[in-house]
Amino acid sequence: MRETREIAMEETVPRRQSFINTPMRVLRAIGTSVLLVMLFAGNALAQQIAVTGTVTGAGGGPLAGVTVRISGTETRVLTNATGRYTITAPANGALTYTLIGQKPAREEIGGRTRIDVRMEGVTYLEEVVVTAYTEQRRADITGAVASINVESAARQTGASVLQKLDAVPGITVVASGSPASRSTVRIRGISSFQNNDPLYVIDGVPVQDSYINWLNPADITSIQVLKDASAASIYGSRASNGVIVIETTKRGASGPPRVTFSARTGLASPTRGYDDFLINNALDYFQVVKTSFTNAKLPVPTNIFGDPNNPTVPTYTYAADNTYTTKDAFGRPLNVDVNKYSYPNSLIMPGSTGTNWWKAVFPGQAPVGDYNINVAGSGEDHTYGVSGNYFDQRGTAVYNDFRRGSLRANTQFTRSKLTFGENAAIAAERSVGGMGDPTGYAEDGIVGKNILMQPVVPIYDINGNFASGKAGGLGNQSNPLKFAYERRNNINNNNRIFGNGFAGFQALQALALRSSIGFNIRQGTGKGFNPTTFENSEPGTTNGFNENQEANLDWTWTNTARYNKQLGSHTFNLLAGQEANKSTFRHLEASMNSFKATDPNSLYIQAALGDPGTRNTQSYGSQSSLLSYFGKADYNFQDKYVASVTVRRDGSSRLGPDHRWGTFPAFGLGWRVSKEKFLENNKILSDAMLRFGYGVTGNQQIPSGRIISQYGGDLGDTYYDIAGTNSSIQPGFRQTKLGNADLKWEENRATNIGADLAMFNGYLNVIFDVYQRNTNNLLFDPALPATAGFANSPIVNIGKMRNKGFDFSVGHTGDRWNATLQGSHYKNEIVSIDGVQNFFITNVKVRDREAAINQVGYPIGSFLGFKTNGYINTQAEADACKAGSVQGFCEMGAIKFVDINGDGKVTNADRTIIGNPHPDFTGSLDLGYRFGNFDVSGTVFGSFGNDIFDAQKLFYVFRMFQTNVKADLLENSWTPTNTNAKYPRINENDQNSNAFSDYFVEDGSYVRMRNLQVGYNVPQRFARWLNATRVYVQAENLFTITGYEGLDPSLPAADINGAAGDIRDQYRGVDRGTYPSSKTFSIGITTSF
Amino acid sequence: MKKATRQPMLLGTALFLAAGSLFGCKDSFLTDAATPQGVLDAGVLANAAGVEGNLIAAYRALDWTTGLNGGQAAAASNWVWGSVASDDAYKGSDATDFTAIMDVERYDWGAPGADGILDDKWKQVFEGVSRANATLNLLKQVVKDSPAQLGAADQAGIEGEALFLRAHYEFEAYRMWGNVPYLREDDTDVRKASLQKAAVATEILKDLDAAIAKLPTTPRKGQVGRATQWTAKAYKGRVQMYAGNYAGALTTLREVVASGPYALQPSYDQVWTGFKQYENGKETILAYQASANDGESSGNNANYGERLNFPHSGSPFGCCGFHQPSQNLMNSFVVDPATGLPTMITNPTTWNAENGEYDAAKTASMTIDPRMDWTAGRDGVPYKDWGAHNNTWIRDASYSGPYSPKKNVHEQASGAQSSVGWVNTQLNSVNIHLFRYADLLLMLAEAEVEAGSLASAMADVNLVRARAGVKAQGPGTSTATIAVPITDPSITWAKYKVSPYTSFPSQAYARDAVRAERKIELAMEGQRFFDLKRWGILETTLNAYVNGVGGGSEKSRRTFFNNAQAVQAKHNNFPIPSREVLLSTVDGQPRVAQNTGW
Repeated sequence: MRETREIAMEETVPRRQSFINTPMRVLRAIGTSVLLVMLFAGNALAQQIAVTGTVTGAGGGPLAGVTVRISGTETRVLTNATGRYTITAPANGALTYTLIGQKPAREEIGGRTRIDVRMEGVTYLEEVVVTAYTEQRRADITGAVASINVESAARQTGASVLQKLDAVPGITVVASGSPASRSTVRIRGISSFQNNDPLYVIDGVPVQDSYINWLNPADITSIQVLKDASAASIYGSRASNGVIVIETTKRGASGPPRVTFSARTGLASPTRGYDDFLINNALDYFQVVKTSFTNAKLPVPTNIFGDPNNPTVPTYTYAADNTYTTKDAFGRPLNVDVNKYSYPNSLIMPGSTGTNWWKAVFPGQAPVGDYNINVAGSGEDHTYGVSGNYFDQRGTAVYNDFRRGSLRANTQFTRSKLTFGENAAIAAERSVGGMGDPTGYAEDGIVGKNILMQPVVPIYDINGNFASGKAGGLGNQSNPLKFAYERRNNINNNNRIFGNGFAGFQALQALALRSSIGFNIRQGTGKGFNPTTFENSEPGTTNGFNENQEANLDWTWTNTARYNKQLGSHTFNLLAGQEANKSTFRHLEASMNSFKATDPNSLYIQAALGDPGTRNTQSYGSQSSLLSYFGKADYNFQDKYVASVTVRRDGSSRLGPDHRWGTFPAFGLGWRVSKEKFLENNKILSDAMLRFGYGVTGNQQIPSGRIISQYGGDLGDTYYDIAGTNSSIQPGFRQTKLGNADLKWEENRATNIGADLAMFNGYLNVIFDVYQRNTNNLLFDPALPATAGFANSPIVNIGKMRNKGFDFSVGHTGDRWNATLQGSHYKNEIVSIDGVQNFFITNVKVRDREAAINQVGYPIGSFLGFKTNGYINTQAEADACKAGSVQGFCEMGAIKFVDINGDGKVTNADRTIIGNPHPDFTGSLDLGYRFGNFDVSGTVFGSFGNDIFDAQKLFYVFRMFQTNVKADLLENSWTPTNTNAKYPRINENDQNSNAFSDYFVEDGSYVRMRNLQVGYNVPQRFARWLNATRVYVQAENLFTITGYEGLDPSLPAADINGAAGDIRDQYRGVDRGTYPSSKTFSIGITTSF
Repeated sequence: MKKATRQPMLLGTALFLAAGSLFGCKDSFLTDAATPQGVLDAGVLANAAGVEGNLIAAYRALDWTTGLNGGQAAAASNWVWGSVASDDAYKGSDATDFTAIMDVERYDWGAPGADGILDDKWKQVFEGVSRANATLNLLKQVVKDSPAQLGAADQAGIEGEALFLRAHYEFEAYRMWGNVPYLREDDTDVRKASLQKAAVATEILKDLDAAIAKLPTTPRKGQVGRATQWTAKAYKGRVQMYAGNYAGALTTLREVVASGPYALQPSYDQVWTGFKQYENGKETILAYQASANDGESSGNNANYGERLNFPHSGSPFGCCGFHQPSQNLMNSFVVDPATGLPTMITNPTTWNAENGEYDAAKTASMTIDPRMDWTAGRDGVPYKDWGAHNNTWIRDASYSGPYSPKKNVHEQASGAQSSVGWVNTQLNSVNIHLFRYADLLLMLAEAEVEAGSLASAMADVNLVRARAGVKAQGPGTSTATIAVPITDPSITWAKYKVSPYTSFPSQAYARDAVRAERKIELAMEGQRFFDLKRWGILETTLNAYVNGVGGGSEKSRRTFFNNAQAVQAKHNNFPIPSREVLLSTVDGQPRVAQNTGW
């Protein structure tokens, strides 16, 4: 199903733009309604009869939810699931039938008591969609514009609508399972080294921020994705990564307020847990340790498990020195006096036969609830829609949730030639636990920490405080449950006011003027507590607390004039406009350490509460502005030939004084072949449109102020105790950022060729596009050698990138069943970097290792590492390796690395590209079937050909920091008799095999049942007072088919920023321990009255 | 009806007129928002305060960990490069922790991990050079544009200090890598080509001579952290020694000893200390002035790069057990009971035979140099005033032995400990010596040996030994008993003895004696590796350290040495970080070429 605009005969209620588009129609319609009302008022005594009937679709199947209205009145009913309706109407009146996606129908009653109606679907090309500053018929669009299936998207539970977009051809979306996580949306590949977020235009207000959890998905009526430059370049400056146009204008049909209520509630569990494939038994784990030390010819540690030949789970893994008197022969404390326990200096921790750390932190069964109420209606000169939402999603991890309340009011008034109104949303979000997407280190969050804990480590010590691996050999990590628990009061609040106020004026019959002021106001607060960890092997001995406040104000003033003219067969639509945008941001943060009391009520930054010497405050901010002029001309000849030309000129405050202004032209051509004689009444191609588009878009998404060199200083960086006082420092300054006064626009030139085909009389709709996008003058900050100093390199317009690809959709929409297959492919290639280098290594690391490289001729963020060639299997090989000092560790069972440059040594120079995080193909299949009152629908999503760099192998295969390991490690590791093993020999001294190599790379392809829903339309006899009630059960992420051995092949993008902005695209597909997707079962109800 | 239509018309027209006039090509709308927020521009700093501030930042890079991976590799003490890469110390901790340093320890310097942390060191020294050059440039600008801002003395002083600092940073690069680029303030090409090693030394000496000519004899503003003419002169002697110019060094160092302000601290415990009254004494030529509790909330100024080098979990410090003294080093402290001289000198074939742990019981009746217990923590022996060291202080003795580092550790009573940071017990304000007078004296002794004046050499060595014999580690139960006379009856864990040499019978003997003294006196201070390299005995010494010398081998003690690479001629220079070679590429040729063999 495709979202189309509902156009009923009498209720061509002027929507925000439609009045501009079809001014006369509006006026005529209003006039007609008035006339009809008078007519019927005069006929008040006309005979009332009961009319019944069935509404069916073109294929003969019943249509439910069709609005049947007595023409000219506010009396209406809806058809039920079998398409039946009954209405009492004047015998000489008329009935109108409207349903989204169907052409409106009208029947004169003429005394009939039974009227059956067959409705015709709106063909794809006749759909009206909201694109740039206007609404357009598909048939008039020459660019690549995809519509989101809002209904299918609604089958997914999530805070952000963006999570639901990856079933759109040409779009990839990644997000973690954490409730408040940010979704990363990419349209047709990646065009820049940093910040490839598309531009969002929500109710006409541009937003360049991919975090839109504040927007209630239920408010959204349509989402259009402008994928190519000819469609997007009207948004010029910020459109190089595509534009997503979201409309929330959910307004009522004319008549009394119609109330729609929907509720959904469910339970979520992680799709998979580490307990599936890590060791959960303490003694099993010891066998790995024993093997590792024995193979290294090191004495096996006995301090935990005692006699290596007869290991036992210890009574105590750790007891402070003063709590016991003697040790057994293996160095384990004996005669522990539990009464000497005192926190934090004299801790005593028991041994565990096997702690399931995963279950401790991810117990599953996390509730989710989503509640919406919407009231909508309209009158002669106004329309309105008011909605409220409460969304509450617990994380599948403990102490982690996201809640949102939002309120929206969209209204519009018409008075003569003037139209005005507003779309406004207020949202309050609250997320607890602070578990966003991970940054560089896997150990940062509870997921990574989970791997790091051995099964012998207990969750609690003997006194109920959190325990950890304090004793030697138990690793260096923190208890993940404690980590989550201590952050249970880490609350981030985001309050948002978003919307616009607008006024339109129909100056002439052909000329419409419009002005809109959009605003995006955000107030954010956050706080974070960092506990002491005396129980750790590497204890943290001071606690700390920080809090921050930040405010964004972003306003956009848009003025447009639109002129429509028809001269015979020629139709012209002209648009001219001007836009000004200003963004300001300010952030204030403070922190202090050593809090005396750590309950949430004591966590404020006040001298008396902690150590005032550690109090630290700072603030920072930014501002930027854009000024734009744009114009668009559309020409249509007999609906057969369509042409459109766009020019936008943008000025940006971020760029050099001489290069602020950029001009972005585009054009598109369309040919509706099916209107040609030779295709008239063609049986196969019932409707066909061929499109060609070319255009230039820009990008200036870099931090503000980088046109001049900047200086600064920091207490821990440039300040120094030159006088030798030991406790006071004198101010110092250094250059912090190098500026470039010549910064200019990054340009993206895109070509698109596409076709929209309706085949077999509309039985199949096919959309197909191929494209190429070339980025020139790519803005980024190529690294300088360290001889330039540590200041951030200047951002320069160097570099080129290319994306080629295709996307398609093949769909059938019938009365009973519908199916849509969508697919996308892109190939990203770096064409040049800076003219000198042909590669640079991403400065994002796991531990101290680099995993990704950007190299000319390869896609952005390709995996970097050594090639491996099995293991060192014989003593002769080991001796040769050792004699030549070929690699760092040469014993049997170690991974053998390939000396690519042939210099006899394995060094960093031998690293090469070992994988590609980008999928060859992503696709989804959306299916729906309806029988009687039941309907079933579901989506399967698949990603194919992408590699995953499983950095977690550092831990669960190579046991870095004595972490937990895979359950089959011992069984499947190298031994002299098992040389064709899955894992190298377990050897404590082998700290070389864990060098990043293709051993870490796996195929990340997967197919996932994204959602499955079974619905039941409750017959009215069961709920007489309700007009239309539907109940459903649904399952999300029901199953996943993948060869990937890690936790979840659906990886989120890392939340990583470089000096020149967001650089997450340089680091895709690296698994650093991410919050897994959720398997959610829920039930829901939608009803209206 | 007419009225109703006219009003909106007026309204609409007004709206568009307003919009047009406000934003009609108003570039100010863009320029107003172009200013970066919360930063300083060059103009704000173009004055005396700005120049002084740039100079402070140039000093701060002496120990600079900000933005580097933990910063260990860029720590002022050079513990990774000077100690772990030599026979002084192991990486420590356990097998899996910080394996990049294990690459260094096993001489596998081309390995990815080593390559990464070598780049940290490279970044630190060239950030230092860059800050010094920024100071010089700003100074020139201020002197030219607003001459009244700085008096002549300050102008000369600032220039001298900045030149000195540049020489210091370039010297660090020189002794690490040999062939490095030399960047001066007027260089605009950051991809400047490397110079050959000898030419780098010439450039450093040129800068030091220029600094000597500009610098005052006492620290400017009375601030002890600043370089003086004497600092630069002492440094010149050091660079001459590194360049193998013994004759030149002899002249320079003799002048510093004869006329300079330096002397040995009265006792050895006052050299590495958290007690403020002993810091910046006469022995300090150049030190990183650490500060703790100075308002910086992470402890970045409090020896952040040393923070792993404390005893582990059972100890009062908690973490992390890195930089552990080697058994070879411990054996070096053993003294021949009869002569009171190191067994390294008296028993060259057996001195390193002991594989067992030197705990208090074992050494109770052994004769050892008191400097052992100022250098290393060992079981049963008081650890300054923190109580007796015991085996729970060690992270994984089976991996890296039973000893802890000690010199960088503050005394509990000194108040030098930080109250902030990840683990505040591991951060302190103990100054890190970059150059101290005992080092200089022993260099002078070396120069005397090479000049054949063996008596003078012996006198210098004996000065150092005499001071070492003043105080030993005491029970440490109070501030007064941290250091006690070496024969104090409260010492039950060793017989301390350190006697003067009575004769240097030959030049070869003298050379060995001076070198042995440097090993003992400067142990764990990040000098050893560079000394071995300077003496041309790097390969023989380190291969012998691993495979056998003096009756013992590290390979038999620590299994990880079985995977050590053989030390070869190429090891005399660290490999240049691959990132820097790549980024220096112009027209397909790296301007900073990789060192031979790497």
